[in-house]
Parts: sequence; structure tokens; C-alpha cells
Amino acid sequence: MSPIVQGLITIIVGVGGCVGYFFLSNLVLDKVIFPPRGDDAGRNINRANMVRPWLFLFPALFALGLYLVYPVIGSFVRSLYNRSGDEFIGFGNYTTMFAEEGFQTAFFNNFLWVIFVPAASTFLGLLVAQLTDRLSWGNIAKSLIFMPMAISFVGASLIWKFVYANDPDVGIINAIRFALGATQPLDVLQLSFWNNFFLMVILVWIQTGFAMVILSAALRGIPEETVEAAIIDGANPFQVFFKIKVPQIMGTIVVVWTTITILVLKVFDIVYAMTGGNFDTEILPSYMMDYMFRDDGRATAVAFVIMIIVLPVMIWNIQNARKEMR
Amino acid sequence: MFPTPIAKTSRTWQLTYQGLLPFALIMWLLPLIAVALFSIKPAVDFTQANYWGLPSAFAGFENYGKVFLESQMPRYLLNSLLITIPTVIGAVALSAMTGFALGIYRFRGNLLIFFLFVAGNFVPFQILMVPVRDLTRDLGLYNTKTGLVLFHVAFQTGFCTLFMRNFIRALPYELIEAARVEGVAEWRIFWYVVLPLMKPAIAALAVLIFTFIWNDYFWAVVLTQGAESQPVTAGITSFNAQYRAAYHLMSAGSIVAALPPVAMFFLMQKHFIAGLTLGAVK
Repeated sequence: MSPIVQGLITIIVGVGGCVGYFFLSNLVLDKVIFPPRGDDAGRNINRANMVRPWLFLFPALFALGLYLVYPVIGSFVRSLYNRSGDEFIGFGNYTTMFAEEGFQTAFFNNFLWVIFVPAASTFLGLLVAQLTDRLSWGNIAKSLIFMPMAISFVGASLIWKFVYANDPDVGIINAIRFALGATQPLDVLQLSFWNNFFLMVILVWIQTGFAMVILSAALRGIPEETVEAAIIDGANPFQVFFKIKVPQIMGTIVVVWTTITILVLKVFDIVYAMTGGNFDTEILPSYMMDYMFRDDGRATAVAFVIMIIVLPVMIWNIQNARKEMR
Repeated sequence: MFPTPIAKTSRTWQLTYQGLLPFALIMWLLPLIAVALFSIKPAVDFTQANYWGLPSAFAGFENYGKVFLESQMPRYLLNSLLITIPTVIGAVALSAMTGFALGIYRFRGNLLIFFLFVAGNFVPFQILMVPVRDLTRDLGLYNTKTGLVLFHVAFQTGFCTLFMRNFIRALPYELIEAARVEGVAEWRIFWYVVLPLMKPAIAALAVLIFTFIWNDYFWAVVLTQGAESQPVTAGITSFNAQYRAAYHLMSAGSIVAALPPVAMFFLMQKHFIAGLTLGAVK
């Protein structure tokens, strides 16, 4: 039971620390540093109010600086050094890496992932959201479709291993192939090029639920009159869906799409657990994992390439957030 | 009601629609159903090639008993709990404070810091790996649960702050002004006025972060090794390596590992979906 006690103590200390910090720092600011008394009480109140936001911000900023800002810079610096980290080699890691076939494969595969997974997830999510919209048991259907989202990527991969298993008695795919008359089992994960798509299906399976939840909330928000008007004008269901509904939720579709795109660039679990990057299924995050314990210089260089790919999406998102603020 | 409710369309169309939808649903969940079925089969079924038929006997207790009593699984589950719960509490507490500061106060640098949090939200975590691993090692926290918790709290703060700030911005500002006019101290405003109003956001965020952290595999592999500190996501891979080809045990193990976040999701569905919607749309 000692680990539980330990955990409890950690929680109490942590929460107590937070509350204590927050309470005491405000108290010190108000009573000791800038007391609202004496000659310049008014100025002290103003001063205290200028400092106060930083009291609330400090713990998070400190944590963010230590675990985010410093590592990003540190990673870049590290990527300019050789394997053992004692010799500065400029962009040497990058040039050797770009020339390597493994990296090119990973880059190409990642490109496929970024195109296919967000598109498929968003499309399926939209489809499900629309089909279950006015169904009496639609909410139950939605919960079930959403369920994979709660499972970890590793857990999902292990479950899908059963689907893809080579043994026709276990693997669902091979079972279906045998039922249709095939005689030789096929390991779909070794099927060059297409195996990428079999891995992507797992992520689509997980992310469709996410797309569906967000898009179905957006569909509900569409003003009923626009749909009514279109139907009175003689639009058929497909026209209503593509010409009336989709344009109105375009903003949400884009948000869902970019969110999944960013996620795709981070996911390594699926490839790592399913094929370990063999059979030409490597993607950048898993390619990086290969070098993690062997060559930090190379690993950080890969990480930086991923960072540069994400950067435009990141900037675009910040600009959007800014526009909304005005 | 537009479009025409499905109940008013032609009979055949209605039947196909109502038949196809459950069928599609079952296909969608087939991987899960298969694993659940495998996990209650006795080992004999697999040697006698009875893979897809009904179990010859119900062996659920046996299989799950083995997972819980004869493997490291309970240990991994406990580790996961001890990592996840402090992280949720820490991240929510920190982000409630930062969200309050960014949402309520207008000061120079407010926007800049907010964008820093937005950016932190999008940074691919791979880039943090090597420095964070070295940092954790230098702090003597490598292969400890504390090391993982500290990092998770710091990393999740970006997303949580974004979430909290947007929520606090949407609260009626007059409440805070009224409290200020009454002469209520700022920390009391935070504690007694804003915090109670944030309950829905806190619940949504807690559920969301719980699943995020519980399902994390990357940092579990990078920052820990071995059964004494690894969470269940990393544990299940070594469990499955250990019981390779024992399909019934592998399935039972996978179900046990996936169950807590799934249960959390079903119990807290409303909060979970509210959290995702709030986090993505704003």
C-alpha cells in the first residue's frame, strides 16, 4: 500500500502547494509589498494590480519554459552536433539524412498519412454525423462509433493486430479471404505500399469519432430556415447536404481537418507497435524513434524536420486565433 | 421538420437504411467484439481451432484472473493511476490560474503569452524528447513516476490554459466588476466567484486530460523502463510479448488496459464531448 500512500501525499503536497502559493503570494503582494495604506495608497493598488497577473502566470510559465522553450532550442542545438555530441558539424546531420533512402521513404509515407488520414476521418465523421442526426437511437450509435477514441493508440494497434493476423483462423481479413475462396494466407502488413494504408485505417478508426462529435455539433447549429428554403426551392437531399449544409460548417471542417493533420504528424505508436517501421512503413516520428537511443544528433534533426512541417499550420492557427479576438 | 424525417420516407428505403446502419456499426466495432470474444474463451478453443465459434466454455474468470493475479498487470494499472491522477490535478490547477490571469486581466504581454500557450499546444512533442530525457536524468527523475508527472503537467498546461482562458472569457465580466466594486480581494474573486462558475470546464478538462495521459505511450517509453514505474500502455506491450500466441490472455490483457479510459468515457460522456467541442471549435 505504500505507493498509494506516496501518491496521496504527492497529491496533497501538490494541491496544497498550488493553493498555498496562490493564497500567500497574493497576500504578500497586498499586505507587504504594496499595502493600500499610507501616502501613496492609490498608486500602490495600481502597482499591485499590475503585478498580480504575473503571480497567476508564473508557475505555468516556469513549467512551460523548462519543459517547452528550453527543449525546443536545446533540440535544435543538439541536432547540429555529431552522434556523441562533442563535435559541431553544422547541418551535417541534415545532409546525410536527406540523402538516406530510409528518410525519403519515411518522408513519402508521412506525406501519404497527412493526405489520407485527415481526409478519410473528416469525410467519415461528416457522413456519420449526417446519417445519425435525426435518428432515434442516433446517440447510442454515436457513442459506439466514438468509443475507439478513448482507447490508446497502442491498445488499438494491439486490437488491430488480430484483424491483420497472418493466421486465417485469427485474422479477420484472412478469415474473410478464406471464406471467399483464397487458399494462401496473406500478411497484409508486408504488402509493400498498401501496408501503409492498412496502418492508416487504424488511425482513421480512432479519429472518425472525434470528427463526428465536432461536426455533429456544427450540423445542429445550422439555422433550420436555410434548409427549409432550399427544400421548398426543390433541392434534393444531396444538394441540401453539399450546397446548403457543408458550406455553412466549412469553418468547423477546416478546424477538424487541421487538428487531425497535426495529430498525424505526432503519431508514432501505431507504426511502432504494428510493424516497427519494417516493410517500408516507416514514418518520420517512428524513424526518429529508431535513432533515439543510438544517435541523438540524428534524432533531433528528424524532430526539427517535423517541427518545420508543423510550423505553417501552427502560424495559421495563431493568426486565426488572433482574428477571432478582434 | 426538414429534411423529411426518415420515418416518412418510403418503406423499402427505410428498411434498408435501418438495416444497413446497424450492420455498418457492427463492422466498425468488429475488432473490439473479436477481442472481447477471444478474452472469454478457454485456451482449449485455440488449440482445437475453434477461433470464431462460440466459446466451448466460459473462461472469463480464469483468463482475467490470470491477468490480475499472475502478471505484472495490477502493478502497471496502479502506476497508470499514480501518474494520471496527480497530472490531472496539477494541470487543471495550474491552468485555472493562468486561464484566470489571461482571461480577466488586461496587461501588456497578455496576447503574447497567450500565443505562447497556443504555440506550445502545437509543438510536436518529438522535438522535446532528447532534452527532456536528459533533463529528467539530470534531475535524478529518470524512470520515476514523479518525472513523468512533472513533464505531463508542464506539457498539458498549454492546451489546458487555452481551454480555460476561452471559457473564462465567455463568463459575464459584470460579475467580476461587481465583486471588485464591493471591495472583494482578487484572490477571493478567483476562489469564490470564478472558480465555481468554471466547474463545467474543469470537469470536461479533467476527463479529457485523464484519457490523454492514460493513453500516453511515447513518454512512457522515453522516460521510464521496467514494471516499477511504467504505466499500463507500456506494460501491455511487454505483457503481450510475454504471452505471444496465448490469444486468450493477450485479449484479456488488452481489454483490461483499454477499459479505464473507455469506462471513463461512458460515465462522463457529456463532459468528454463538451471538452472536445470547447477545445476544438474555439
